[in-house]
Order: sequence, then C-alpha cells, then structure tokens
Amino acid sequence: MGTSVQVTPLSGVYGENPLCYLVAIDGFNLLMDCGWNDLFDPSLLQPLSRVAKSIDAVLISHPDILHLGALPYARKHFGLSAPVYATEPVYRLGLLTMYDHYLSRRQISEFDMFTLDDIDAAFQNVIRLKYSQNYHLSENGEGIVIAPHVAGHLLGGTIWKITKDGEDVVYAVDFNHRKERHLNGTVLESFVRPAVLITDAYNALNNQVYKRQRDQEFIDAILRVLRADGTVLLPVDTAGRVLELILILEQYWAQQHLSFPIFFLTNVASSTVEYVKSFLEWMSDSIAKSFEHTRDNAFLLKYVTLIINKSDLENYAGVPKVVLTSMASLEVGFSHDIFVELATDAKNLVLFTERGQFGTLARMLQVDPPPKAVKVTMSKRVPLVGDELKAYEEEQEKIKKEEAVKKASIVKVEEVRAASSHLSESTKGDSMEIDPTSATASPKASSHFRGQMDILIDGFTPPSTSVAPMFPFFENTAEWDDFGEVINPDDYVIQEEDSNHMVGNGKSLDVKPDEASVHLLLDSTPSKVVSHELTVQVKCALLYMDFEGRSDGRSVKSIISHVAPLKLVLVHGSAEATEHLKMHCAKHVCPHVYAPQIEETIDVTSDLCAYKVQLSEKLMSNVLFRKMVENEISWMDSVAEKTNEKVLTLLPPPSAPPTHKSVLVGDLKLADFKQYLSTKGVQVEFAGGALKCGEHITVRKISDSSQKGGTGPQQIVIEGPLCEDYYKIRGHLYSQFYLL
Amino acid sequence: MASVVTGAQNKRPNPNSTSAAATREGDQLIITPLGAGNEVGRSCVYMSYKGKTVLFDCGIHPAYSGVAALPYFDEIDPSTIDVLLITHFHLDHAASLPYFLEKTNFRGRVFMTHSTKAIYRLLLSDYVKVSKVSVEDMLYDENDIVRSMDKIEVIDFHQTLEVNGIRFWCYTAGHVLGAAMFMVDIAGVRVLYTGDYSREEDRHLRAAEVPQFTPDICIIESTYGVQLHQPRPVREKRFTDVIHSTISQGGRVLIPAFALGRAQELLLILDEYWENHPELHNIPIYYASPLAKRCMAVYQTYINAMNDRIRTQFANSNPFDFKHISPLKSIENFDDVGPSVVMASPSGLQSGLSRQLFDKWCADKKNACVIPGYVVEGTLAKTIINEPKEVTLMNGLVAPLNMQVHYISFSAHADCAQTCGFLKELMPPHIVLVHGEANEMGRLKQKLVSQFADSNTKLYTPKNCQSVTMHFSSEKMAKVIGKLAEKVPETGESVSGLLVKKGFTYQIMAPDDLRVFSQLSTANVTQRITVPYTGAFEVIKYRLKQIYESVESPPVEETEVPTLIVHERVTIRHESDTYVVMQWSADPISDMVSDSVVAMILNIGREGPKVTPIEEKTQEEMERMARKVVHSLMVSLFGDTKFGEDGRLVITVDADVARLDIKSGEVECENQGLRERIKTAFGRMQGAIRPIPKP
Repeated sequence: MGTSVQVTPLSGVYGENPLCYLVAIDGFNLLMDCGWNDLFDPSLLQPLSRVAKSIDAVLISHPDILHLGALPYARKHFGLSAPVYATEPVYRLGLLTMYDHYLSRRQISEFDMFTLDDIDAAFQNVIRLKYSQNYHLSENGEGIVIAPHVAGHLLGGTIWKITKDGEDVVYAVDFNHRKERHLNGTVLESFVRPAVLITDAYNALNNQVYKRQRDQEFIDAILRVLRADGTVLLPVDTAGRVLELILILEQYWAQQHLSFPIFFLTNVASSTVEYVKSFLEWMSDSIAKSFEHTRDNAFLLKYVTLIINKSDLENYAGVPKVVLTSMASLEVGFSHDIFVELATDAKNLVLFTERGQFGTLARMLQVDPPPKAVKVTMSKRVPLVGDELKAYEEEQEKIKKEEAVKKASIVKVEEVRAASSHLSESTKGDSMEIDPTSATASPKASSHFRGQMDILIDGFTPPSTSVAPMFPFFENTAEWDDFGEVINPDDYVIQEEDSNHMVGNGKSLDVKPDEASVHLLLDSTPSKVVSHELTVQVKCALLYMDFEGRSDGRSVKSIISHVAPLKLVLVHGSAEATEHLKMHCAKHVCPHVYAPQIEETIDVTSDLCAYKVQLSEKLMSNVLFRKMVENEISWMDSVAEKTNEKVLTLLPPPSAPPTHKSVLVGDLKLADFKQYLSTKGVQVEFAGGALKCGEHITVRKISDSSQKGGTGPQQIVIEGPLCEDYYKIRGHLYSQFYLL
Repeated sequence: MASVVTGAQNKRPNPNSTSAAATREGDQLIITPLGAGNEVGRSCVYMSYKGKTVLFDCGIHPAYSGVAALPYFDEIDPSTIDVLLITHFHLDHAASLPYFLEKTNFRGRVFMTHSTKAIYRLLLSDYVKVSKVSVEDMLYDENDIVRSMDKIEVIDFHQTLEVNGIRFWCYTAGHVLGAAMFMVDIAGVRVLYTGDYSREEDRHLRAAEVPQFTPDICIIESTYGVQLHQPRPVREKRFTDVIHSTISQGGRVLIPAFALGRAQELLLILDEYWENHPELHNIPIYYASPLAKRCMAVYQTYINAMNDRIRTQFANSNPFDFKHISPLKSIENFDDVGPSVVMASPSGLQSGLSRQLFDKWCADKKNACVIPGYVVEGTLAKTIINEPKEVTLMNGLVAPLNMQVHYISFSAHADCAQTCGFLKELMPPHIVLVHGEANEMGRLKQKLVSQFADSNTKLYTPKNCQSVTMHFSSEKMAKVIGKLAEKVPETGESVSGLLVKKGFTYQIMAPDDLRVFSQLSTANVTQRITVPYTGAFEVIKYRLKQIYESVESPPVEETEVPTLIVHERVTIRHESDTYVVMQWSADPISDMVSDSVVAMILNIGREGPKVTPIEEKTQEEMERMARKVVHSLMVSLFGDTKFGEDGRLVITVDADVARLDIKSGEVECENQGLRERIKTAFGRMQGAIRPIPKP
C-alpha cells in the first residue's frame, strides 16, 4: 500500500484566515505554515493549541505574518518545540517582519502575546535550506525527504515537496508563475502527477490585468498625485512585496530622473534592505546576471530613503512624496498614523497594493464605495511625567522591594534553619524564633507601605519564655593562613559574562538592531499608552491595485491541470472561491478534490499499490526500449522469483508468453496531425471538429465528457470507404504512435 | 527522486572487476585526468559511466602559456560531455573554460556556484589583460569570456539538480569563497570530486563539509601529500612576527599572493594585527590589486557563503572594509621610502607587480619575502624557497638573493591529517588522487594504503590521460505500480506490463495506468471502413466460418442490422444492399483479420453469387482428413513415416525413431533435437489445417 497521508486544516480554510495545516505522513506530523493575522487574535490558534505538542516538524513557506506569525506564540504557550524548516530569506525576513510587528504593537499597547526574546527563541531552531535541496529527515521521519522549491510571490517563498517512497506531497500556496523584477516564477509546473497537491483557492475568482499595463497605471496614479503636490501612502508588508514595489519605483525614477523623495519606513527598514542585498542567489535570473556582469546590486537603492523613525518625515511635511510603510492593515504602526494625517486632505492618495486582511481598517477602506469617515483609535506611548511618574517609580520601587524582601526572607529563613540546626542545642532558648509563614501571611498592602524596615520586625514572634530576646548571631569564622585571610579569587572577578552573553545572543542571530529597536529595547524610561478615539474624514483618494504577486484564477487552473495531481486538497480562499475551484477541478483535473473544514481530517492516502522488484540482467538484455520524449518505454513479459524473503526478481519467461493486447502509446493532436499530413501531400482540412483527409477519409477524436481530463486512453476514429487512401492515411496515423 | 536515493542506500552496487568481461560495457566507469594527474595545475578530470559523461573543472597550467597550458582536451570528444562542473574560480580550475565553451564543439551544460561565477568573470578578464602573450597564443579574449557567462548556469550549495539522468549537488569546500565539492550520482553510483578543499575554518570561510552519503569513488586532491600544516595560530604568529621584525629593522615585506582567495584572509589578519598594534600605524600596508577591489562587492554580497564569524562581524561593519590597508595601483604610484608591507600578485612571481618589487628588493638583506601559499613547480617563487645564492631578474641580469625568504603556508588545501580524516569518515571503496606532484602523491598513496590496509579500499594515481576503469554491476530496481501491483506475485507467476524508464528509474505498469503515472498517454484507434458488397450477407457468414473458428452473429434485434463478429475483434454490419461496414479497433492482429475479411468479401463480389452446397463435415471426417494431411506432410519432411499400431505416427530418421501422437501433439523420441523439430513442424501443420483458433 502507499504511504498514508492525512490533511487537517487548523486555520485558513473557507476564508482568508491565516494558513496553518497539519499533514501527517505515515504518522509523522508536519505543520505546514504557522500563520496569524495582523490583529494577533489568539482565538484563531485554538485548533493549533490542541495539536502543537504532537508536531514533529514545521515547514514555513513565506516570510509574512499569515504564514509564520504564530511561531513565537505557539512556541511559548503551546509547547511547539519541533524543528522549523525554511529557506534562508524566509528565516531572515520572517524574523524582521516579526520584529516590525512587535515594535509597532508595542508602541501603542501593552502588547504581551510574546516578546522579542520569544521571537528570537522561536527562530533559533529554524533549519535553513536552499531551493531544491533534498533534506532527509531523521528519527521517526526516516525516509521522508523534504525539498523547498521556488514559489515566487515573496523572496524565499517556497512550495514544499515532501517525498516518501517515491510518492510526492506538494504543498503550494501563494505561488506566482510570472517572473517579476526580483523573483523568478514558480517551478510548480515542473512537478508532474504528485500523489497529493495542497494548494489555495485564494485567487480562484480573480483575474489580473496585463502586467505592463498595471505597472504603468501604478506609476501614473502616483505621479498624478505627486505633481498635484500630494503625498502617496503605500501601506505595504515589512519585507515581502514591498521589494518589488521599491524596484518598480527605483527603475522608473531612474528612467525619468524624478526627484520626488521616496521613503521606506518600517522599524527594520535598513536591516531589511541590508539583508536583501545579500540574497541575490534567491532572486530572479536577471538580477543575478546584472550583478555578475556589472556588480551592481539591484538593492543598492538610489532614490528610496530608508528611515526607521516617523520623525524623519517631519522635515518633508509639505513636500510631495511617496511613503512606503509597513502594516498593510493600517491597524497599527506607522501606516496607521500616517494615514490619519493624510486622510483629511483630498490631494493625497492611499494606494493599496494588496487586499487588506479581513476586519482591518485597510479592508474597510477598500470597499466600494469607500466610507466617508472612519473611526480610529490614536494611541501613543508617552513618557510618564509628574505624578504619574512618581506613582510609577513608587510602584517599581515597591516591586523591587517586594522582591528583595522575598529574597531576603528566603535567605534569612534558610540561614536560620542552617544555623539553628547547627546551634540548636546551645542557643535554642536565646534565639528568637522566626516564623516564615507569618511574613507572607501578613497583609501585603501593609507591607508595601511600611517598607523594608518594618518587614524586618514583622514576622518575628519573641518566644514567650525568653527574657532577653535577641537575634541569632553567628560568628563569621574565617580561615587564615600565613598571608592573611584565605580568599576565593573568583569572588573578585568582575562579572562580564552576563553582558557578553547578551551581546552574543544578539550576534548569534545576526540581527543588526536598528536604532529604533535598540531605543525601544533599551528604553527603560517609564512610559504609558495614551489612546483616544477620533473620527477621520476620508477625503484623500483611495485606490487598490493588485501587486500581490499571486497567480490569477485562470493561471491557477491551468497550472493545476498541468500538474494533474492524483488527489487535490484546496485550502485558503473565500467559500465561493473554494467551491468554484473545487467544482472546476473535479470536472477537469481529477476526481478526488477535497476542501476540508477546520479540524476535519481527510485521508488522502493514495489507493495506489506498489512493490519493488529487481530486474535481472537476463531480462534486461532482451528489452528493447523506444524513446519517447524523456521516457523510454517497452513491453515486458517476465516471471517473478523470490530470491530471498525480501527481494523479488524478474526473470525472462521460460516459454513464449501469450500475446497481449497491443498498446498504442502517444498523444495525438489533430492540428499537429494535419500539419504532418499536409507535408506528406495529403489534402486535409478541418470540418465539423473532424479532420477530413483526402476526399473520403475522416479522422476524429471522440471527446467523451466523462473521460475528459480523466485517465482513460484517447479515442480516435478513422473512417472511410475501402480505397488506397484509407490505408495510406491509416499508415500515417499509426506513425504517430508507438505500438507496443 | 527519493526512491533512487533510498534504493541506492540499501543496495550499493558492488564493484566486481573479476567478472569484467561478463559485465556490459555500460557498467564501466572510466575516470581520466586530462590535467592535474600527477601534477598541480590545469585541473580537469573526465568521467564517464553508462553513457553519461561529466567533466570536472577546466583549468590552465599557470607555469605554461598558450595552448601548452590547456588540459589534454584532444583526448576526449567535447560534444559528448553532458555536464561540466567547476569547483572554484582559481585559474588552475576555471581558466580554460572560455576556451572550452567557445572554441570546441562542447554542447553540454556548465555549472558553478553564484560567487564563483561573479568572480570568474572579473578574474579571467584580468588574466587576459595581464598575460601579454602574442595574439596567436591567446586562448580567448574578453568577448569569449562575456559570451561564456551566458552559458554558465549557477547552482547553490546543497541544491540538487538533474541533467540528462545525472544528478549532482555540491558541498562547501572551504578553499576560497564559493568553492564547492561536487557529488555526482549516475544510476546510483556516487562520485565525489573534492576540487581544492580545506577542513579548517579560517577567518572568513567555513570548513569543508563531510557529505552525509558515502561516495563510491572519491576523487581527491593531494597537493600537500604527507605534509602537515602547523596549527593556524602558530602560522599566524610566525607570519605577523616575520613582518613585525622586518619592518622594525627598517625592511620591506613583499607578500606575493594571488589576488583572490587567500589574499583576503591575509588582509584580514594584517588589518587585525595593525589594529592591535598602534605603534605600527605609521607603516603602510599596500595591497596592489585593482581586481581584488572590484571583487569586494562580491565578497560583500555573498556573505551567506561564508562562516558565522564573518557574518556576525558583518552585522556591525563590513570586515572587508580595511582600515589600515591602502590600495596600490602600479609600481609608478608606489613611493618606496622606508619600511612597508606590500601584497601583490601574481603569487608565483612570474611577472607583474610582485616580480617588479621582487627585482627591486631582492638584493637587500633587510627585506623579506613571505610566500603565503602553495607555489607551483616551475615558477620563481618555487625556486627561491630553496634559497639559491643568485636569481635571474626580469631584465636578464643576475642578482644576489639576499632578502630573507619565508614560506608560511596559508593555502587552504587539506594536509595529510585532514585528508586521512576526511577519507576515514567517508570510507569510499575507491580513491583517485589528483592535483598533486608525483612525489607528494606517491607518498600520500603509501600512507593511505597503510591506513586502509584492512579495508577493501582501492587507490589510484593516474597520470594525465591515463584512464582508471572500475566496474559497477548495477542491480536495476524497478517499481511495479498501479493495477499491476494489486497483488504481489509468488515465484513462478508472470508479470507483464509496460516497462517505463525515466532517467535511471524503472517503473512497471499496466497500459491503462500509463497516463496516470507518466506524461505519456495511450490511444485507441477505431477503424470503420465501408466495403462495397451486393451479395447476400449469409454468404459472407458462411465463408468466414470456413476460415475462422469464432464467427458470432448476434440477434438482429440488438444490432438493428445483420451483424457478424469475427473473433470478437472485427464487426461486420450489413447496413445497405450495396455495402457492408466493418469496424474494429486497431491492433496488428485485428488489422490482419480485417484485411483477410476485406479480401474475402471482395472475392465473393467478383465471383458473383454462387450457390454452394452446404456440406457440414462431421468431426470424424475432419479428423481423418487431418491425419492424412499430417502424414503426407511428415513424409515430405522426414521421409520414412508410417502409422504405428497405436494410431501414432512413427517417424524414422537414420537410427532415431520418434512417435507422434496426432491428437495431443506429444512426441516420444530419444533424440532431443529430432523431437523438437517434429514438435515445431507439427505445430505449424496444426495451424494450417485447423480453423484459426480464438486467441
């Protein structure tokens, strides 16, 4: 029997929720993507939390929140500890994306889902792979080979091919077959007949306009606003599609010698571009080629200014400019703030290059017609001043004290215990007994205010028998030698380790901390979040253009039918799109199309039987292969023989085998056949779907609707009266096939 | 793909050279060094197995010029080569590539890593410019290099590619930036070609990886023979001490080094040393290589190919942005006052800036020359290592060699310990040594022979153009899939189906499944032909029955018109008074049947309607007739033949007597040969006498 394969969606089916699917191959649990949305809604992760511990490996396909956002949270709260596999850019850009989101969130709220350390921890066990690197899993994944392949869409984007025993499971979401400025198109089409294909229906209903036309419209729209003294805001992702937009702008600015400033503003903008510069191997052939020839790195940006602080924009307040900034959802971060500033001026343009996630401000603005006004919450982290600061300081002090006290009391208690056991006999009567429980039992509030002094008294009850209570006193016995007190030199070494450790930690992740992040990280000045709601009149122009870099509906269909999987699983896409694609594929691609619901496990184990045999040399010497495209093919008759308990060997049959039904192998295209006949001097023409050859003979292909796209052989009919032409044309027809 | 890998793991082909004659030619694996066989330079190793051909590296010999520097390309037919793999950008590994791509009939594909390709372009342009040889000696020009760039494809480390059934991928080799070791897998036989490699991590490069699969053959460099490198800190200390003491005595230090590769490592060392010794800050370090400056962009871009140490540094500032080293364009711009350190190419002191400086400084004993890497036989650098009394200058004069010469090897080649360790981990059954001088190679071979004495390892040290032949009797494994595989057969049961070969994998399947498991499809061709016929349909039926055993005529109610089905293949329908329609599905037997039916129908037509009495012969009569016919035929074939008492035919040929049972066809005879002959003859007679049986 074939390899058992089960697919269980954990999120992201019949809708646009983040992607997260469980694929079990012979009991080995692979988590395909681990996404979250921009709102970081923990309820979406419920299904994941139930299975997180049983996961053996995580494969990540794209460096954005929808594909990897939940990694830190799942690791921290669900105990997801499996190794994560991703390409180098997905790892790096994914990390930067997480930083950016964290910092944006942190600036406006007491964000506590995860911390920067959690992000680092989650990304520390990422195993980085190269495209088409066959990685052999070990231990209980023995025999499984995973390989990332080019997906397009985002830098480092991956379609995963998981192979076991020659059966392929292909996971391909968000791929793009078109070659772009910085990315090659996907290689998905080169996979033929995988056992299972898991793909998305996200774009099944969308069709794209011609690329060049779209680029031109994009530039025109921007320039129109700039020339009218307006500002263009492009809410983008942190390190994904924005790279393509930057290249478009750079290229156009260079061609037209434009001087309007362009800003790329994210918390990690400069490191993003710095890293992207070193990912040339992962980009399109043209970028690699230009570097090889001229050593011009395409991401050595000449027109785009990288900034990591919104205040840098203030100098350009009235100037027409283009601002690319992260948080495409407009929910938080720079894009949110800038939107609020720009929205009230009709001169300005907010140009969306991707569909906003469901339930976000961006999505609200993308409806047609756009809302006249939107309610937004402006939040800001402000340093504490005056009374608040005082209160805060007191609070901190309190916390510190409390901790100190706790520690002290614990230490004391231990000391006393040790001491009392040591000196129990002699000093029992004199020493005060310390009741550790009373210290903790006393009301906390009072201890807070009375401070350290009080707490020393608190918790001690002088034994009623004692006359003169005193604290236990232990003499500090020091050892002396000829040179004085014996010391332990280690006690005097300045502890550098801790700080080193910190730095080392940061370094091992190779992250160049941006100033802002450093600022925020090291910023210990007390601050708080102030928010107020306000209604923003949306007067600026709003525009949506598809720069998502995903294959459109038509291409998706043609790619799927080219790949022709034996079984197809559809995920991620609105209910209509999923249903539409399901219907389409069931009709034209393969009979086994599944679109499971969340937590619904479907079994896509192939009903394929297979076993291995050894081909004996004797048998092979009699086989005459015929070459067809990239295959060689032959009919073979043989007799099986078990040489030992495991291996079956095929030997040539002892007697002449019975005749077999002959097989015609080949793919006849009537149009090609027509061409061929006309070169042979036969009059041919198409008439009513049939090929009329000469005067009397017709050749037809019967397209049985139930057979279409199926696995049956082609049906070809040749008919005509008995005449010489008939046999001639039959001869030509036969020549199109291999007879076995 | 994985099935190949796992299959190969379980069943490694056994080399069996003893039965060499028995194995087919395709099982011979041939390795021929076209260069770098018992020498260092012009690396080029040819390999062929099962009709697939791979060429590793394509270098020139730095000590020669013109065509003499090329590997022996005329030993092979370049058009037969499928894949050419270049390990790294050094001239002795890549410099004859433009020649090979542009001036020969090579039509295969070329692969190298990204950084190798980027540097290759710059390096060779520089090589063409620097080597000022006469025009007819020029192997290629700048244009050839540019054109070759379009033909070169890139491969990333660990990326698995397949060309024409040859699968290959590469590992980090650690020698220079982008250096790779190639693993090639042809039909499950794996060959590892190390190129130049180093197992020691240095300031910017990773150490060579140990492949996770054991190769069947390891083609390995032997540059350093049985020598051992000093530990890196010791070498670095010697290096900096020599320089420090020379300049503090007012001397000049010349470091002849190749522009790329080790030079970057030395610059990193020097820059760090100067950083730590403020007293040296007024002593200039020059690096005379505009080429290296141009390559810096490559070094800065492909940091992912370097080690963690450099990537960590890169996070803060670019470590290749040297603070204490200034570039030097040419000797004219060099202000030679007081002590200085100059690093200049070429490394062999053949010509160029390093030679100019050498000529200038060699007579002064305060000066020093530090040779930091391997030097090729036949170059001046090799000569001065032995510290001769005098040297010949470029202008032909002879000058005393007074300057101190130090040889401190930083070259990132594996030493004996590394090679032995590497091979010990891999344990390949065959080891081919290349890229080493004959003496060094011989010593290494001795050492390895003793090391692998108790294992079955074979060692080869072929000279240039000397082939090494190995035999791998590969066991071909096939996978039976689909309907055919529903039941696993027992011994003696037959398995029949389509055998589909793709690359080196075999699949056996039922014809119906062909479309499911491959891109091929099958077709049914239905033929329908109208034959003019005006006679009675019954006549056709009668005549057919005479010829064919199975002629069915289904009731008219089912078929509307009178219909005959011959052997369940050919359907004949009497659709009109003037013609009949025949329909069948194309295949050779049906075609034949239909042809005979057509001929028969036409004959009936020509003869005109004729009433023939229907005489149904009884079974008995038929039998009698058959006996008669067989008897007379046997007489004509074997001579003396009569009917025996038991009804069998007794055939006497010379002394041998055979008895043939006409009913069952059994033959009883002492003579094996005669029995077979009679059996065959009888089989044919039966075929002729009886109606064509149903298949």
